[in-house]
Amino acid sequence: MKNMSKSGMPSGALVMLILRVLRSGPIHGYAIAQRIHALSTEVLQVEEGVLYPALQKMLLKGWVTAEWGISETNRKVRFYSITPAGVQQLDAEISDYDRVTEAIQAILRTA
Amino acid sequence: MGSLFRRLRYLLNRRRFDRELESDMEFHREMMAREGRRDFGNMLRLREQARDAWGWTWIERLGQDLRYALRMLMRSPGFTVTAVLVLAIGIGVNVTAFSLFNMIALKPLPVRDPGSLVLLQRRSPEIIQSEMPYPSVIFYRDHAKTLSAVMAVMGVPPMHLDGSAEPVRADFATGNYFSELGTRAALGRLFDPATESKPDAAPVAVLSYGAWQRRFGADPSLVGRTIRLDNKPATVIGILPSTFASLGGEIPDIWLPLAQQPYFIEGSKVLTDSSASSVRMWARLAPGVTAKMAEQELLMLTNELRRQHPKEIWDNEYIRSDPSGHLRVMTPEMYQVATMVAVLTLLILLVACANLGGLLLARGVTREHEMGIRMAIGASRKRIFRQLFTESLLLASLGAIAAVGFSYAVLRVTLVWLDAPQWLSPVPDWRVLIFLIGTALGAAIFFGLTPALQIARQRQRKPIARQVLVGAQVAASCILLIVAGLLVRAMHHTLYTSPGFGYEHVFSIDPQLGVHGYTPSSAQAYLTRMESRLRAAPGVTSVSLVKLPPMGHTVSRTDVEIAGRSVAIYPNWVEPGFFQTMNIPLLLGRTLLPGEKNAVVISESFARRQWPGQNPLGKQFDSKDAGSGPRDTVVGVAGDARLNALNDDDAVEEYWSAHVDDMPGMSMVVKMSGPTETFVPMAKGIAESLDPKIFPEIRPLKSLYHDTVSRVEQLAMVVSLIGLVAVLLAGVGIVGLVAYSVSQRTKEIAIRLALGAERAQVLAAVLRQFAWPMTIGLMAGVGVAAAASKVLRKVLFGVSNLDPASYAGAIAVLVGIVGVAAFLPARRALRLNLAKILHYE
Repeated sequence: MKNMSKSGMPSGALVMLILRVLRSGPIHGYAIAQRIHALSTEVLQVEEGVLYPALQKMLLKGWVTAEWGISETNRKVRFYSITPAGVQQLDAEISDYDRVTEAIQAILRTA
Repeated sequence: MGSLFRRLRYLLNRRRFDRELESDMEFHREMMAREGRRDFGNMLRLREQARDAWGWTWIERLGQDLRYALRMLMRSPGFTVTAVLVLAIGIGVNVTAFSLFNMIALKPLPVRDPGSLVLLQRRSPEIIQSEMPYPSVIFYRDHAKTLSAVMAVMGVPPMHLDGSAEPVRADFATGNYFSELGTRAALGRLFDPATESKPDAAPVAVLSYGAWQRRFGADPSLVGRTIRLDNKPATVIGILPSTFASLGGEIPDIWLPLAQQPYFIEGSKVLTDSSASSVRMWARLAPGVTAKMAEQELLMLTNELRRQHPKEIWDNEYIRSDPSGHLRVMTPEMYQVATMVAVLTLLILLVACANLGGLLLARGVTREHEMGIRMAIGASRKRIFRQLFTESLLLASLGAIAAVGFSYAVLRVTLVWLDAPQWLSPVPDWRVLIFLIGTALGAAIFFGLTPALQIARQRQRKPIARQVLVGAQVAASCILLIVAGLLVRAMHHTLYTSPGFGYEHVFSIDPQLGVHGYTPSSAQAYLTRMESRLRAAPGVTSVSLVKLPPMGHTVSRTDVEIAGRSVAIYPNWVEPGFFQTMNIPLLLGRTLLPGEKNAVVISESFARRQWPGQNPLGKQFDSKDAGSGPRDTVVGVAGDARLNALNDDDAVEEYWSAHVDDMPGMSMVVKMSGPTETFVPMAKGIAESLDPKIFPEIRPLKSLYHDTVSRVEQLAMVVSLIGLVAVLLAGVGIVGLVAYSVSQRTKEIAIRLALGAERAQVLAAVLRQFAWPMTIGLMAGVGVAAAASKVLRKVLFGVSNLDPASYAGAIAVLVGIVGVAAFLPARRALRLNLAKILHYE
């Protein structure tokens, strides 16, 4: 599982996915991992060993912020939310991603 | 920018951020546990990886390493104290030397805009002249557009103040001197550029703070009072502040306006005489002007001046500018000395570092166990190397702190001892601090890097690093000892060999007749009367005139090359009796006749070099001045007498008979027999009765000679001390290294002894590994010292820089100390308790 999450998830893609998930509203770290897992029809697994470094990096870049909230288990936990800079970054990454996948698919179709 | 700000905020609130991260991850775990998944990694490590994103991990590691290093150093206080002391000496000597250089050549003077101040001097390819005729100064001042201000200072022999016995040092300065430097009076006022530039203004004087305190008991009512200098009344208008910094480090007691010089020195015409080089010229570059531009403009002006006064300007004369906004205007020779000192002090640092490197290597062996454990639990070599190097950095920092304290103390004492101007402070400034940090870092790299690498690679038992360290220590201390030996020999040479002339019971009298406007004939009359009065005085055995008195203010020399060797010729103009008065033996021929022309007496070594193996009498040669006229004939050979070049082995002398034209510039030497205490008041009395406006400068040659010699003594003492410190450091270092390598081979030695080996053989086997490095180190040291000590020749007072005694002495001392240092610990190792060692393990 661990191997798959690492090989199957380029780190650039992880940031994009986290930002995308956060666009629907603030959620905590564990929920981010859950959401990605669920939305990917349980293909993509995000381990805490990659999730938290990625989140720290995004905090540093100013793409996300974190605030204290209360979890569904009634525990004090930090909720991450996307910032305007994060939204911009997400748009840029999605268009980049689209371009690259289209290019790859073009090759796959013709070659 | 935003991310940098967030990064800094993280650094400042690192604990809170870390707690938040921890809480996030804990929650993550809780939720995972709820779902029955148990994929627990090392929480601490995961957290560390996550924190890595902020890029501050190195600081945390550094903190860890430092804490650990501190614990390690505290656990072995003996080692730490030794290491810090060794470093404090090594770094401290360097910081002290640099601080002195900083004070002399780097620190800007506390005056207005020190960066634009320059000293302007006359130069030509043949002639060096630091003073200028005042009319030329005026010409440059009035025409140079690249200079925004021109100042001139004239030094004069000490003057007599209100009839007190102790003379005062006085300087004449242009009226703009203090206003240009931005100096404010401590009391009263200083020169006003407008008033004090007029020759007919009321005579005034400004006192230095020190003179005001010493001579007038800091009496504030002195301002406005009239004092008498050489019997000329002048009003004290102000007192300089104690922090006053004058140009070129001149510190007279009294400043007088240059425009009033003819009033104070009656009859003097130097201000209008365009042939008398009498003042130092300082200037301020105009804004945006470089020294080069100013030199170019001044060259044009010099050529213009040549058209006006063709006789007074030399061929190819130009004006040289030197930045002078610091204590001393540096000359190439001074830079040479500074380089030499820097090399010597760096050698000490080298010895200290090599020493400490050896200690660290030895410690590496005792820490093998610790390193083994750390490696076993997963520390990488890189991490161990970093840890060890952090320890070295910590040691270097502690050493640097101790060094600053050491250097501050030394500087304080030195400044007091040198009677340095008050604005010079021993407190290190930013230049010194940067130098300190650089030196400490360099030292840490030098002594810490190799041992750290070797230990991290578990190679500390290899002898090569140790051998290099021993070799370096031996070489460096060898150089230091040889230089110290040379200087000590030079000191003995000057102390115990005769300078070639008698200085006991001899006085020089300099009446400065020319400065007082005497003509050749009136000067001759004055001197003749003075001589006959002196001859008649009790105790006086001999009186003679000389143009350049021994150890006088003015020195003249010409450098020529004879048979491929540079020789400095010191010319002089004397009365025939001069040789007798100065006890200089006449070896061949005869002395000069009074007023004789085209006859010359040369010194013995001059004759030997010019005409080796021939009789010099009757030989002729062109002197510089007599290129076209009749040539000079050698009529006599006198003994070598380095009247004005005590410390120059290449000096030779040439004497001509003094002529009437020389009279205004002549001085007098007087030899006494018996007590000399009464001489100065007596000579003063005679001068007073001959011409009350002349106050000759009377100086005993004996004390001048001792002043010169004591400077060498001090230099030799300091260098010997440094050399001794170096050799002791090296000795201690070698004791440690040998002791350590013996302890490392204890078992081997024990087995050899148990099997019946001779003790001497075992000893040789142990010491053999040090034989080569010591030999190579010695040879390298001797080679470097021989090559580098050429620059020392000028201060060696006639001792060759290859003086075998100094070399042999240095080598003997070094071999002795190194031998004892190697032998003692080795011998102790042979008195082993064999059974106990062989039972061990």
